[in-house]
Amino acid sequence: MNKLRAIIVDDSSFSVALIKNILEKKNIEVVDTAMTVNDAVLIAKQHKPDLITMDVTLLDGDGIECTKLIRNEKVESKVIIISSMKDDEIIKMAKNAGVSGYLQKPIDEVEFHTLLDRLFAGDELYEVLRNHFKAAFEESFYTNIKRIIGGKVEIRSISEDLVLRESLGVSVAIGFNGRHSGRMLMDMKYETLECIFKKICLNENYTREDVLAFFSEIGNIIAGNGASLLNGLNRGLGIRVAPPTVFGGKDVMMSLGEFENESIEIGTKYGDIFLNIGFKKGDETWM
Amino acid sequence: MDVKVINPFVASITSVLPQLGFQNIVRKDIKLKSKKIKSSGVIMVIGIVGDRKGNVAYGIDMEGAKKIASIMMMGMPVNELDDMSKSALSELSNMLTANASINFSNDDINVDISVPTLMYGDDIEVNMNSEQIVSVGFDVDGVLFEINVALN
Repeated sequence: MNKLRAIIVDDSSFSVALIKNILEKKNIEVVDTAMTVNDAVLIAKQHKPDLITMDVTLLDGDGIECTKLIRNEKVESKVIIISSMKDDEIIKMAKNAGVSGYLQKPIDEVEFHTLLDRLFAGDELYEVLRNHFKAAFEESFYTNIKRIIGGKVEIRSISEDLVLRESLGVSVAIGFNGRHSGRMLMDMKYETLECIFKKICLNENYTREDVLAFFSEIGNIIAGNGASLLNGLNRGLGIRVAPPTVFGGKDVMMSLGEFENESIEIGTKYGDIFLNIGFKKGDETWM
Repeated sequence: MDVKVINPFVASITSVLPQLGFQNIVRKDIKLKSKKIKSSGVIMVIGIVGDRKGNVAYGIDMEGAKKIASIMMMGMPVNELDDMSKSALSELSNMLTANASINFSNDDINVDISVPTLMYGDDIEVNMNSEQIVSVGFDVDGVLFEINVALN
């Protein structure tokens, strides 16, 4: 991250010192501070900083009005509200005023740093994701399939960029949200899935629905483990996993090429299992 | 599931589609379905996470999908569902869901959306991992456009 410049708007000198300390730990330079709406607008115009931290209660007005006044001056700084008050109404007003994030006092330093990462490290975070998502999901995919099936399990990385692929029979799609969004798609023959199901669930009286529900759950575990590995690399990624959707049918085509993606295949004694994982760079919005 | 969950999506269709050049948008009945839906043509699924969690699946038959892709690409003829038209349809599902998420946030419900998964085929069975799905169809310039929402 390049050295960012910030101003702090807060009517408490204690809070100013605390916020300054946290920002400086993140290598963010605090170029000025203000305790009133008037001063805040003046210094925002003067410095045009990357970041403004804004209290809600100020000596001569409130921080949300102040943010609007700063926006009227065409200052594009990102504004984070830091206030002891936090309720739905204020959050809604803050969003409408063009605020990028909201923290409640007492300030949680980790939460503050995570928010800063999300706001300012979008490109860097995307690079982290690009460099690691394949390895993370390969590990989760391999470990879980190996654990479930046992025996000889062979991993094959597919180097060509796949744009389109015919489904082998059943697939599970799981969406990811967070600083950047994505999705995972796992595909195999129904017979392969059924063999794995029978190995795990010894019950002979099962329906196709049971097998598909089991598939949902495997997908969910692989997606969740992969996402956790990535979040462990950088909390700023904030990847969350949406519920699985299972597809089945004959001659179903899976479109894969809409964003950067990687494919991995695992050969098992029951048949091949295909995994495709992709992410797309997200816009920075409300955090 | 509360049927009202469909409203932000209905509002999204009626506000986004006219901006893309669609003229006649008529809403059909809202239905409750079991978790499994059958579809023929193109289906796009987007994951939703936040205050509500689930998926939305947009379904269009193949001819309709080509027609919609063509309108989105300023009338360029679409004979086959090529990469460009798939990309246009993915973008459509993304725009509709992003707009619906803004509609949710106006009701103080905050959600994030994933990228779309696009599949197509003659006989697709989709299991949305929810006991009930709220479904609504639209006649969009003669094309049947279906939205299925499963949100917890």
